[in-house]
Amino acid sequence: MMATWVSATPWEWLAAIGPMHGWAVATAAVVSACCAMVGTVLVVRRLSLLGDAISHAVLPGIVVAVLLGGRPGDLGVLVGATAAALLTVALTEFFHKQAGLPEDAGVGVAFTTLFALGVLLVTVSGSRIDLDPGCILYGILELVPFDTVEVAGWEMPRAFVSAVVVFLVVGSGLWLTWRWQVFTAFDTEAARAAGVPTVAVTVGLLAGVSLATVAGFEAVGAILVVAMLVVPAAAAELLVKRLHHCLLLAVGLAVMGAAAGYLLAWKLNTSAAGMMAVVLGGEYLLAVLVAPQQGVLARGMSSVLYAWRVQCEDRLAAAWRAEEAGQSAPLPASLVAAAAWWWLRVQGRVEPAQSGARLTSQGRRDAELIVRSHRLWEAWLGRHAELPVDHLHPPAEWIEHHLGTRLRQRIEADLGRDVRDPHGSTIPPERG
Amino acid sequence: MNKQAESQPGHPQQPTHLPATSPLQAGQPPLLEWHDVTVAYGRRPVLWHIDLTITTPCLYGIIGPNGAGKSTLLKATLGLVPTAGGRVQFWGQPLAAVRPRLGYVPQRETVDWDFPVNVMDVVLMGATSRLGWFRRAGRRERELARACLDRVGLADLAGRQIGRLSGGQQQRVFLARALAREADIYLLDEPMAGVDASSQEEIFAILAGLRDAGKLVVAVHHDLRTAARWFDAVALIDMRLVAAGPTATVLTSSNLQQTYAGRLGILDELSDAVARGDRTS
Repeated sequence: MMATWVSATPWEWLAAIGPMHGWAVATAAVVSACCAMVGTVLVVRRLSLLGDAISHAVLPGIVVAVLLGGRPGDLGVLVGATAAALLTVALTEFFHKQAGLPEDAGVGVAFTTLFALGVLLVTVSGSRIDLDPGCILYGILELVPFDTVEVAGWEMPRAFVSAVVVFLVVGSGLWLTWRWQVFTAFDTEAARAAGVPTVAVTVGLLAGVSLATVAGFEAVGAILVVAMLVVPAAAAELLVKRLHHCLLLAVGLAVMGAAAGYLLAWKLNTSAAGMMAVVLGGEYLLAVLVAPQQGVLARGMSSVLYAWRVQCEDRLAAAWRAEEAGQSAPLPASLVAAAAWWWLRVQGRVEPAQSGARLTSQGRRDAELIVRSHRLWEAWLGRHAELPVDHLHPPAEWIEHHLGTRLRQRIEADLGRDVRDPHGSTIPPERG
Repeated sequence: MNKQAESQPGHPQQPTHLPATSPLQAGQPPLLEWHDVTVAYGRRPVLWHIDLTITTPCLYGIIGPNGAGKSTLLKATLGLVPTAGGRVQFWGQPLAAVRPRLGYVPQRETVDWDFPVNVMDVVLMGATSRLGWFRRAGRRERELARACLDRVGLADLAGRQIGRLSGGQQQRVFLARALAREADIYLLDEPMAGVDASSQEEIFAILAGLRDAGKLVVAVHHDLRTAARWFDAVALIDMRLVAAGPTATVLTSSNLQQTYAGRLGILDELSDAVARGDRTS
């Protein structure tokens, strides 16, 4: 089976998916897009845990609505679920403000209680409703295509239709209130002072979360809904630095994760919901690696580049000091140093001579500035830091790579004219 | 509690150096008036019976030690914390009626500077805060935001992510956001905190410019050395109003002694007892 899958062309592959799996993938994609949209705002507001809570706490609302005659996917069920979600938030606030519980503990108490209540309701009501606690946790994405409704002559899965409706409602809600969502998320107090109805903005967001959650509940289950709320948003916020870019990227990552996860699960014959969550987690890991500023690769790269610059500058300075002492430049003592020499030659800062190499005029100017920085710093530290003379070299060896023209001039002005460094060497003048 | 025994509330003051063309006329309500304002966190009072009036546009400093309730006073003024008693009036009107005419600069540390927005986004928050539900920033708001960034000297950093600014630049972004509200009264919480000396001077120059344009600028400040130079008038606060009026007459050593060393523990002890719902020992 693996062999045919790998060797198939993309078109054959797409055709092999067929309408049943196609509907399931489409439903998963729309649901995860809904979750990623609201999740983006939740994550920057540090409310991820509340998203987790809401995704569980909607259960009793759904069960009660179903017991009252609603069908999963109906409007009544959405209303019931949203009410339960807002009840969670109200309970959390109550525990926090009135009972003095820390806010995260309050969330923990509220949603576990409500979720447990929902589980009890499901089991107590037994055969009267067709909700299975297992499905609630893991979803029944594979069965989504079999429960259909007719929309404008087209037969579509009920879960897909409700997911699209939720997508449109949540998406347009966010679009219309975006300005206030951003202001409230960034600086709630200033937003309130400026007259932004921050409570309404927050309640609207949480209602959106519960809508997205309910849409996702049936398709992918409570556990994966949490992953869809938090993981794509967290990944996107590592990669881009404006909130609406985060939202768009999160939606893209979520849709990709949902589709790839479903197809992988189908081919490997395992749980679709589980595989989607794993793929989303993989996307997050990848983001951690490649993020432009805090990413593992970027930080590794910048330390390598720094070490390389230090190495090259140290070679230059060593050559200058040798010249000052009337000797020829020292031979590179290590492979890295040899590489640095080669690079300095490529740059035209050193050139070959009879006895090894010597500085070009450009190289001499650059080297002089490094030695100047070094000796200025030694002199300055010697005057201001009460360090013994033999302790001055190591700090200067480090700071010489960080001093710029302006600060050098300030240090020089501070030291006064015609100063020598604490070892008695002259400090080269500035001539860039 | 006997207010007179505890403090000597300031009376309406008119800073002496201000131009004679002050907008204050007989019968006109003062710009900003706190009338017997008491604020409590839970049941614990943190600010007792503030009675203070500002009649003319000026640079007004609210000065006091840590924990004196300076920021709380500002937040109560803007309705961000509820008052346990008393009222605040702007031009003789309640907060709800005048909100669009107020600009607020919170303390810099109150927000997460790694938040994914750039400088322009933050200033636009101020420029668009008057638009109602469902409205989006248009050309007018963008131009306004750009002009305000220009006024604080950050025009060329409009696209920079806010986490990559220095402390002084972050403070100026906040200032630009308040400027973009085109307010008549500006309330600033520690605008000079964590800001290097040259940025402080720039911020001060902007605030002085607002004052000269006829705006009232009220700033919470804790540094006595600079307070004397920057503010036209000050209120000394230490859980209660110690003194208020023109800077030179208020920043006297006996007043400072009262503010910085003279809490006498009485209000502290009383706050504890009130919070417990009990008597003091």
